[in-house]
Amino acid sequence: MTQHDADASVPALRTDRLGRRYGKVWGLRDCTLEVPAGAVAALVGPNGAGKTTLLEMIIGLLEPTEGQVSVFGETSRADTAEALARVGYVAQDHPLYRDFTVADMFHLGRAMNPSWDQELAEARVDTLGIPLQRKVKRLSGGQQAQVSLTMALAKRAPLLVLDEPVSSLDPVARLEFMRDVMASAADATLTFLISSHVVSELERFCDWLIVLSHGHVQLAGSADDLLDAHRLLTVPRATPDAELPGTAIHRADSDRHSTVLVRAGADQLAAQGHAGWQADPVSFEQLVMAYLQRQAPATDNDPPPAAARPGPSTKAVTR
Amino acid sequence: MIWVSWRQHRGQAIGCLALLAALAVYAVIESTSMRTAFSHDGLAACLARSQGTACPAGVTAFMNEFSSAVNIAFWSVALIVPGLIGVLVGAPLIARELEFGTWRLAWSQTVPRSRWLAVKLALVTGGLIVLGAAMTAVITWYRAPMDQLTGHFQHNSYDFEGLVLTAYILCAFGFAVLAGLLIRRSVPAMIAAFVPWLAIRLIVEFVFRDHFLAPLTAKINCTHGCGMGIGFVPQATGRIGDLVVNINGNIVSYQPADRFWTFQFIEAGIFVALAAAALGATIWLLHRRATWTT
Repeated sequence: MTQHDADASVPALRTDRLGRRYGKVWGLRDCTLEVPAGAVAALVGPNGAGKTTLLEMIIGLLEPTEGQVSVFGETSRADTAEALARVGYVAQDHPLYRDFTVADMFHLGRAMNPSWDQELAEARVDTLGIPLQRKVKRLSGGQQAQVSLTMALAKRAPLLVLDEPVSSLDPVARLEFMRDVMASAADATLTFLISSHVVSELERFCDWLIVLSHGHVQLAGSADDLLDAHRLLTVPRATPDAELPGTAIHRADSDRHSTVLVRAGADQLAAQGHAGWQADPVSFEQLVMAYLQRQAPATDNDPPPAAARPGPSTKAVTR
Repeated sequence: MIWVSWRQHRGQAIGCLALLAALAVYAVIESTSMRTAFSHDGLAACLARSQGTACPAGVTAFMNEFSSAVNIAFWSVALIVPGLIGVLVGAPLIARELEFGTWRLAWSQTVPRSRWLAVKLALVTGGLIVLGAAMTAVITWYRAPMDQLTGHFQHNSYDFEGLVLTAYILCAFGFAVLAGLLIRRSVPAMIAAFVPWLAIRLIVEFVFRDHFLAPLTAKINCTHGCGMGIGFVPQATGRIGDLVVNINGNIVSYQPADRFWTFQFIEAGIFVALAAAALGATIWLLHRRATWTT
């Protein structure tokens, strides 16, 4: 794992035109993205956007129909020990064996993972006050989530994938769980990819953003860069998109004004600004919602129209 | 993986041991009274002398006392028990992981799922073979006095002695593992595996078994019609353990008692082959299958 840090130019995760077809329907198609080493990346999209399909291919549970996944520069073949060893996984609803004790779960982790770190696992649940001898079914939802996360961490994989990790938790448990993830992420050798359909959950925690909808990547890149590159313009209602700086992503018209989220650099804004126009910074959530509300591809089988192609995202990730 | 398999199946292992213990207790109690009666009636000596024809009253009394308990109730219960064991152990093996979503946990550790399955199948199959062999040993010991009168070719001894009992368990297990993978729910998978298992089991027993090998024929002369004589000694051949297949006029076709082990190998082979086919299909599908959701 340490050799990965040495070469920061190797992304923790790269998918290359990744696609997965279920019968005739593409669950995910043409998905090209990168997550740099050390990032905490948010994978955001509505339910059914293909998030779980993408994550399962990254983990090595699911064989891609086309394209490939590489983790720290090494191509992953689904369902091989090499691929599975590189990724720690906390599945949605954090499945555990209900009649196992926490100690049993760790025993399983030790038996099934050559690089298992028993000390880390035991220290973590000790800190959290979860008794080792308690059965999983007697743990609260938050504690079960913590045991799942502990197992993924103790696997000592350089990339951790968390699928909707907090969606089944109450607000307090959500906050505690995400705080623990962030504490682990402070260890710069780990890269996190966290999926959610609730943007606000991830806003404070993530420095990399991937927006997925209708089986395609709509937006991907460093969160700061993406926020910098977008503005919320308030303009007179009649103003056509063509007169606006940059690219209009989403437009909401009210009686007198239109609020348009545009992708435009500071120079473009300066050059095409008008008196009476107001340009505000965008929030994480506004940005994600704008891209999610964009005109979706006509069908899942067609390549996305040019406007929805991950053009900007490609620029962002290859920077 | 060995520990994981043990931890996940130890409840079933304990259940199987309890079943075996119950069977052994029943066998000891029943067999003791049967053995006492057998020696008391001096049947062993009579059998050695004359295949039982010299002491018809003793044989009849013994059969009257023990055959219903040993044969009818025992056979009807024991007919389904190997199938129940097989499906109860087999169906949850994969189905429970799919039902509760734990497949995402089990198959994302550093063990490819084909290996995960191979280790589990090897250990559980081994356990079932031990269980089947132990049940066979207990039942064979328990029935020993009765078998001296009836031979081993009758349904109620043939089905539980030798190799076939273990093969029946393995077949039901194989069907249930495959059904669990396809149906993804334990209880429906148990039913879906048990029904064809029972059908095949009965068809093999009542349609095919008599004809595994071409029967021998003998010419006979029966003054009062040919049938079973004393106990289960076919009058036609006069030897304990011969299985009469058909009587046509004065020609009797029969399977001689010394074909018992040949027949056991053939029938066990059929059921083990079915089990192997089902488990092979499971391994192939699990490796190949892409999607587990929905």
